Amino acid sequence: MLRYILRRIFMLVPVLFGVTLVSFSLLHLVPGDPAEVLGGQEATKEDVERIRREYGLDRPLAVQYLRFAANAVRGDFGVSIQSRHPVRDLLLQRLAFTLQLSLASILVASAVGLLAGVVSSTRPYSLFDATSMLGALFGISMPIFWLGLLLILVFAVRLHWLPSGGTGTLLHLILPAIALGGASAAVIARMTRASMLEVVQQDYIRTARAKGHREGVVILRHALKNAMIPILTVFGLEFGSMLGGAVLTETVFSLPGIGRLLVEGIFARDYPVVQGAMILVGTTFVLVNLLTDVAYAFFDPRIRYE
Amino acid sequence: MRRLGWRFAIALVVGVALAPAAWAQGQPQVGGTLVYAAGVDPDSLDPANTDSNPGEAIGRMMNNFLVRFDAKLRIHPDLATRWTQSKDGLTWTFTLRKGVKFHDGTPFNAEAVRYNFERFLGAEKPLKAGLHSPIIRSVDVVDEHTVRFNLKVPFAFFLNNLAHSASALVSPAAHQKWGKDLTLHPVGTGPFKFVEWVRGDHITLVRNDDYFDGKPRLETVIVKTVREDSARVLGLEAGDYDLIVRIPPEEVGRLTRGGKVRIEADQSNRALRIGINASKKPFDDVRVRQALNYAVDKDSIVKNIYQGFAAVIPTMVGPLNTGYAPVKGYPYDPVKAKKLLAEAGYPSGLKVLLWTPKGRFLKDFELVQAVQQQLQAVGVEASLQSFEWAAYLSLLKKPKDEAKHELYLIGWSPSTGEARWGIFPITACSQWRPIGSNDSFYCNKDVDGLLEKAVAATSLKERDESLRKAQELLVQDPSSIYLLATKETVGMSPKLHGIINSPLELVYVDKDTWKEK
Repeated sequence: MLRYILRRIFMLVPVLFGVTLVSFSLLHLVPGDPAEVLGGQEATKEDVERIRREYGLDRPLAVQYLRFAANAVRGDFGVSIQSRHPVRDLLLQRLAFTLQLSLASILVASAVGLLAGVVSSTRPYSLFDATSMLGALFGISMPIFWLGLLLILVFAVRLHWLPSGGTGTLLHLILPAIALGGASAAVIARMTRASMLEVVQQDYIRTARAKGHREGVVILRHALKNAMIPILTVFGLEFGSMLGGAVLTETVFSLPGIGRLLVEGIFARDYPVVQGAMILVGTTFVLVNLLTDVAYAFFDPRIRYE
Repeated sequence: MRRLGWRFAIALVVGVALAPAAWAQGQPQVGGTLVYAAGVDPDSLDPANTDSNPGEAIGRMMNNFLVRFDAKLRIHPDLATRWTQSKDGLTWTFTLRKGVKFHDGTPFNAEAVRYNFERFLGAEKPLKAGLHSPIIRSVDVVDEHTVRFNLKVPFAFFLNNLAHSASALVSPAAHQKWGKDLTLHPVGTGPFKFVEWVRGDHITLVRNDDYFDGKPRLETVIVKTVREDSARVLGLEAGDYDLIVRIPPEEVGRLTRGGKVRIEADQSNRALRIGINASKKPFDDVRVRQALNYAVDKDSIVKNIYQGFAAVIPTMVGPLNTGYAPVKGYPYDPVKAKKLLAEAGYPSGLKVLLWTPKGRFLKDFELVQAVQQQLQAVGVEASLQSFEWAAYLSLLKKPKDEAKHELYLIGWSPSTGEARWGIFPITACSQWRPIGSNDSFYCNKDVDGLLEKAVAATSLKERDESLRKAQELLVQDPSSIYLLATKETVGMSPKLHGIINSPLELVYVDKDTWKEK
C-alpha cells in the first residue's frame, strides 16, 4: 500500500511537467502580451520593451520555460507581473481560502446529498423520493451564478442574516458553501440513490434483514458501505473541481480563491501566476484522486494495491 | 495681504452659504470605518508605476502632490503653496509647505521633490516616465523649501502634469529601501496610511493623525475588490459596503426609489469613440469618415443605451478637460451620410469590420451593436466582432502594415485633465503605433501645429484658443466616429458625506469625508 502511494506521488512529476508545458504553450499561443496589458493603452513601444526585458519575456520561449521550471523545482515561482507580489505568497493565501470554501461546500454536499440519496432509496417512488430527486434536478440545472445572487438577495439584502460576500468570519462561508455545495449535493444524491437501489436488491441485504438486524443497521452498515464505491468516485471528482477553483462562486461572493487568481491571471497574461496556479491545481487533482483510490480500499477490502 | 483678504472673504461667503446644508446633514462626526467596494485590484500602489483606476484612487488617499486637482479638475496648491513661471516658460519655481513629514517620518522638503522627479528622468524608468522625461530637464534644490524645475521646452500644461496621479510624492527613504517593491510598501504624506494589501481581497488604510492639513475624520478605509457588478450593488443594499463604484445604468432607477442608498452620477473624462483606420482604403477618404459620423445617432444611444449616463461630445475631448471647446459636432443625418458615400464612390454602400472589447468600457458591446444597426441604414454593412481586452490591445498595438482593424471602439481618458492629452497621443502624426497610441494612423499637420502652439503658449488665453481651433479642425477632418463621454455612477450609504468622484474616474475620500454613526 505504502509503495503504491509513493509511486502515485512520484507520478506527480510527469503530470506537473505536462500540465505546465501545456499551459505555458497555450498561454503563448493566444494573442495578448503581459507587457502590453501592464503598460495599458498609453504605453509606448519603448515602455513595452522595457517591461518585457524586466520579466525576461524577450528571451526565447524555451529559455523562459526552462528558467521557470528550474526555479519552480526550488519552490520559487517568481513574482506576479501585474502586482509584483511573490507568486508563492499569492498561492498560499489563496489556497487557504479555497480549502476553507471547498471543505465547507463538500460538507454541505455530502450531508445533504447522502441523506437525500439514502432516504430516497429506502422509499423509492414515494413522495419524498420524488421531491428530493426533483430538487436534485433543480440543483444540477441551476446556474451557480444565479443561485448565488438569489441567496445574497434573500439572506443578505432582505433578511440581513448573513454577509453578502467577502471574507473574515465563518459566517462569510455559509452562502458560498450552499451555492457551491448545492450542485454537488444534487449529483451525490442521485448517485447515492442509484447505487443504493442496486445494492438493496442483493441477497446479503435480505440475509441481514432475516438475521433480524434493525433497518437502520441494514441500510447504513450493510447497504451504504457496499454502495460507496461509485459515490466516492463522484465525491472525489466534485471535491477535486472545488479545490481546482470555483471561479463563479468566488466571483459572486468576492472570495479570493485559486479559481479567480487563475482566471484573472489569464486575462492579464500574468504568466508566473497562471503557471504557479496550474501547478497547484494539478497537484490537488492528483492528490484527491489518490485519496479516493485509497478510500476505495477502505470500503471494499477486496481492492488491493500492490 | 490683499490676496489673503480675498480668500478670507470668499471663505466667509461660502461658509455662510453652506452652513444651513451642513446643519441639515448634522455635524461632521469623527471616526468610523469606510468599506469601499472597487471593481478591480490595483496593479500597483507605487504612483509612478500604476495605470489602473483603483491604483490611482488609493494613491490619492495616501499621497499629496505639489498641486492637486479638485473634483472639477481645477488646480489648487497642495504641497507647494506658491509658484512662479519664468517669462520664457522654461523655469518653474515652487515654494513648499513647511513642517510636512512622510508616514515613515522622513521630512518633506525640496530634496524629496528633486528625488521624486529624478526617478522619472533617471535609469529606473518607472511605467509613467513618459509623463515627465520629455519635458523636465532637471530639478534644482534652491533651498530647503524652494525647488526649481528646468524644462526642455515650454510646456503650458505643466501644472496638469504635476497634478497627474503619477506625480504623487513618495518617501525617498522608502523608495531607496524597497526599490521596485515600493508598490507593496507605499509611503506618502497623505491623509491615510497604508496598512496591508491582501491581493484580490482588500487593502486597508488607516488615518494619518499627523496629517498636515488637519486630522482626517474617518478612522479606517478598507478598499475591497468586488469584481461582479451585481455583487457590489447587493452588498451596498445589504449594508456590507458604504461606497461602491460603477453601478449599471439600468439599476440606478430601482436603487434610487428604494431610498436606502444614494447615487451620484458625475461626468467623467472618458471619451468613447469608434476609431477609424485612416491608413486603409476607403477610410483614407475624408468624405467616408465624415459620412460615418453623420450616420450615427449619438443622442439616441445616450438616451436608450446609457439612460442619460453619458454626454454627447463633438470630438474626442471630454467636457471637463481644461481646453475643451464646445464646438459644433456632427448631427445625425443619414441622408447626408449616403450622399457623401456616393460622392466618395460608394453609392451602393460598403462592407467594413467593426471591432469592440467586451466588458472593458461601460456598455461597450451594446453601444457597438447600435452603431452597427445605424450604419446598416446608410448602406454600410459592418461585421461585428468582440474581443477580450488583452487580445484587443495586442491587435490595436500593431504597426500600420500589420494592423487589420478598420472601425474599432476605444476609450481614452486624459489623466492630466486637459484637452491636449486628450488629442495628441491618439491623433498626432508622430504618435502612430507602435511608437505612440495613435491607432487610427491619422495625420493632420495643421492639428499637430495647433497643438504645438498650445504647448508653447505662455498665456492661458492663447493656449485655449489654439486648442479650440484644433478641435474645430478635428470635426472637419475626423479621425474617428466621435460619440460620447460616460458618467461615473457611484452608490453610497446615505450616511456617508464628502466623497470625491473625480472626472478622472477616480473615486476616493479625503480628510473631510465622514460617516454618520
